[in-house]
Amino acid sequence: MNLLAKLFGFDSSDYDQWQLNWNLEDPWLILVSLGLMIPLALWFSWTSLRRIGSAPKKVFLFSLRALALTLLFFILLRPELEFKKSHSLKNHIAVLLDNSKSLSIKTFPEDVSRIDFVKRTLEFNEKYFEKLKKEFHVDTYLVSDGISKTDGGSESFQPVRPYTDFSRVLDELNKEYEKKSLQGVFLFSDGADLTEEPGEVSQGILKPLAKLNAPIHTFQAGNNDQFKDLALESVSVPDFGFIQQPVRLSVTVFASALGSRNVPLVLKDGDHILVSKVIEIRENKKYYKIDLQFTPRKTGKRIYTLNLPRFAEESILTNNQREFEIDVARDRIRILHLNGRPSWDSRYLREVLANNPRVDLLSFFILRSLGDDVAAPTSELSLIPFPSNLLFDDYLSSFDLIIFQNFKYEPFIDKKYLANIRSYVEKGGAFLMVGGELSFQGGSYSRTPIEDILPVNFIETDNRYMDREFHPKINEDFSNHPILHLEKDIQTNQEVWDALPPLGGVNLGLTANKDAYVLAEFVKTTGSKVPVLVAGEFGEGRTALIATDSAWKWSFRKESGSRYYHRFWNNIIDWLIAEPQTRRLQLESDKDRYQEEQQVFIKLKLLEKNYQPASNITGKLTISSRKEEVIAKDLVTDKQGEQVYTFLPKHAGFYKANIEIGGLKEEIMFSVLKDNAEFEKPLVNDFILKKISEVSGGKYFALNGSNDLSGLQFENPEIKVKSHSRSFSLWNNWWAYGFVVGFLFLDWWLRRKAGLS
Amino acid sequence: MRKNLFIVLLVGTLLIGLSPAWAGYSDLTLPRIIYKGGNDNARPEGLRSLLSQIARRTSVEVNREPIALKLGDPSLFNYPFIYLGGDKAFDPFPEKDLKTLRKYLSYGGFLFIDDNSAESDSEFDRSVRRMVKKLYPQTPMRKIPRDHSVFRSFYLLNTVSGRAIVKSYMEGISIKGRTVLMYSTNDQAGAWSRNKLGDWNYDILVGGYRQRQLSIRLGINIILYALTLDYKKDMVHLPIILERLRRYQPK
Repeated sequence: MNLLAKLFGFDSSDYDQWQLNWNLEDPWLILVSLGLMIPLALWFSWTSLRRIGSAPKKVFLFSLRALALTLLFFILLRPELEFKKSHSLKNHIAVLLDNSKSLSIKTFPEDVSRIDFVKRTLEFNEKYFEKLKKEFHVDTYLVSDGISKTDGGSESFQPVRPYTDFSRVLDELNKEYEKKSLQGVFLFSDGADLTEEPGEVSQGILKPLAKLNAPIHTFQAGNNDQFKDLALESVSVPDFGFIQQPVRLSVTVFASALGSRNVPLVLKDGDHILVSKVIEIRENKKYYKIDLQFTPRKTGKRIYTLNLPRFAEESILTNNQREFEIDVARDRIRILHLNGRPSWDSRYLREVLANNPRVDLLSFFILRSLGDDVAAPTSELSLIPFPSNLLFDDYLSSFDLIIFQNFKYEPFIDKKYLANIRSYVEKGGAFLMVGGELSFQGGSYSRTPIEDILPVNFIETDNRYMDREFHPKINEDFSNHPILHLEKDIQTNQEVWDALPPLGGVNLGLTANKDAYVLAEFVKTTGSKVPVLVAGEFGEGRTALIATDSAWKWSFRKESGSRYYHRFWNNIIDWLIAEPQTRRLQLESDKDRYQEEQQVFIKLKLLEKNYQPASNITGKLTISSRKEEVIAKDLVTDKQGEQVYTFLPKHAGFYKANIEIGGLKEEIMFSVLKDNAEFEKPLVNDFILKKISEVSGGKYFALNGSNDLSGLQFENPEIKVKSHSRSFSLWNNWWAYGFVVGFLFLDWWLRRKAGLS
Repeated sequence: MRKNLFIVLLVGTLLIGLSPAWAGYSDLTLPRIIYKGGNDNARPEGLRSLLSQIARRTSVEVNREPIALKLGDPSLFNYPFIYLGGDKAFDPFPEKDLKTLRKYLSYGGFLFIDDNSAESDSEFDRSVRRMVKKLYPQTPMRKIPRDHSVFRSFYLLNTVSGRAIVKSYMEGISIKGRTVLMYSTNDQAGAWSRNKLGDWNYDILVGGYRQRQLSIRLGINIILYALTLDYKKDMVHLPIILERLRRYQPK
């Protein structure tokens, strides 16, 4: 090295190694060419020396030619002499600490959490790890659904992460040590990887394990002995349900070390118990599949709670309760349509209802009254008994809308059932009365609950019906009302109304209540007005009336068919059942489910009674969780009748947002999610830990807090890495070319002297 | 408490002759169609008699006096049910009238055609078939099946009666599930028809009182079908009706 240093003029202490490098471009082409050409050239050279008698001279001349060609060959190989300085590197050892939530679960009878087993083991083997650090780079990672490097301090090692996913952990570990020498891994975990099937290890783990090429020693934290728990392990429930349609839940309950006992599983909506089932827990059985069924009675997002009793000796209590949300929608509109007698008016309305694919129609026509003589025995009639008790007692709440069309309740419905209808509307139902001889006063509804719920008062008059043609006049104050929207454009809409055929009669003796929406009137020549189309609200429900039995005239038209007639009735139905687009107060959040620390946007929109934007109205927004009221805030609507409020929930859970504004109330629900999935399947999975160690060539240990790890040894091969180097070209200099030319010249000169050409 | 409509029967004949207390737009009026050629009023008392029976037997409010209309009459669309009867050949309907009739039926109207000749392959029958072919060239008349709502809209029927049983079935045309036209060759109006004294105007051919009663029942069922459509096929009705149909054997 010293000689070379002197020769090339550098300090020999700067380098401790040298190496000859060849920098051929297209090496095969050059080598093959030269491999053919050089022997050929030498053969020609040798044959040209036949005339020389002296053998030494012959050999000398041949040697000169061979030397020149060899040197040329050397130059073409482009040699470089590299001087370098290198140093040794340490191999790596990775310590993986599972910090998922399941590590907080305690093991009995020690009453020690799984994470404490790990901490104790690390403390107990502190010297071993100190020693290991002298020989290896010991890298510590917190692992769960990924890996993150840590200093190994106990403060950062807390059971906080939601999931364990070993396949991702191993993938990330492979990336981390792609260019490093990993000689071994310590994995401290309870093995509770929810992505793996029980008793199986997937290729997602096995493949990165093979690629890692280092032994993984697994250390099982905690065990399943005497693990007492009653858990709602899984709940399978649809995101959507339909009102009045059964929703089915499939629940898996896990029970461990609880002996034999019966426990109730209860499903609640708020404090109201929807359904409960007793589970017979038996000593030798861990999993119980329970099917529950309930029927939602209200539309909108509803939050339901499943509860199991909590026992003091359980390892985990949080998994005894599960909340879930179902968005209850209306699949079909269930309408009960009662007709006092067959008529064209009832026939055309029935056609609208029966042809509406959204409607489930149950209609009854009173085909004969008590005074009619059918002149046939009952067996020859298609008439059926009117099931009034079923309709107005048992199944009343299952209807979205009840229509009385020219229907006198006596003798078909007991008067007591009219009170049921009032109660039904008060709780959110819808009622429509269509005019005719048997409607209103003519149906003996004066001073009955039906008069209470309708938005008019009945006045006794000599003439209850005016049988003449008239054009109803739309109330301009309510031109934006959804019921009157036959066309979107207001001007076109008015023209459509004006072009409808005249009606043929109107019920008299009705005066609108002060809160009623009088949408259309008959204006007499005297200027007095008779309400024709009136809508109103009663309790949480909506009611409406049309005081004529001649609206069918809008359907049976020579000019344009029944398009607007259908639209008119569908508008009435939509408004009565309070379809979202017909609600004056709308409250919505931008999402149904939020993650923790996500901002919640709540938007409100308020319309006046005439469906114009209600601006500058102050309302009170209350947001509350199950436990407490979180926010109470006054909001003022802008010119569009809207306002947006944002807030950041502090805790996970289910929240309700209520708004009270302009005499209206609305409520929405949303959830802020926190993942507690690991508590739902809390068992230690020793199988997966054993398999990982077995496949990787490591060892498996069950931790007791005082395991001695000093027996674990790792290979520690020397790894040299150059820190700096310097190269000298052995071909690209005058020396090399000079020698070649020199040898060839000498060869030529000696040949000339020997008389050769 | 379960109300049963069948408990009490009052004497219906008391109602005959009483004027309607309520003559609203929704009340049933039966217009007879006037056409050129032939005899469009072969059974002058037929519709009035049927209306009287409807008023007596059902809750339907009727205008007792039938009216007569031409298809071109602007008031045609005030009456969703029209009757076309006759016993002779009639002139082909002008295209304008056919167009009006087509519109009338597709917008919700109903046409009952009654061959009063009581003959098979009558002149009237040929005129009707010629007219219907022009009215719906792509939709021929078909036999109305026995499970059609018209046979259970009020009475349970399994025969097509009439003054004469020329055919044991009715024919009809349905559009979008609604039968818009029915045609009987059995002179239904002849069986319904009685004078103001209550005597029957025409004798029943072959059959007797029962055949006339079944014809009246069919007439009422046709009207009730027009007024209630497939109401009797609603699921709530089916179990009871099917059970009665199983037991019911016409005498």
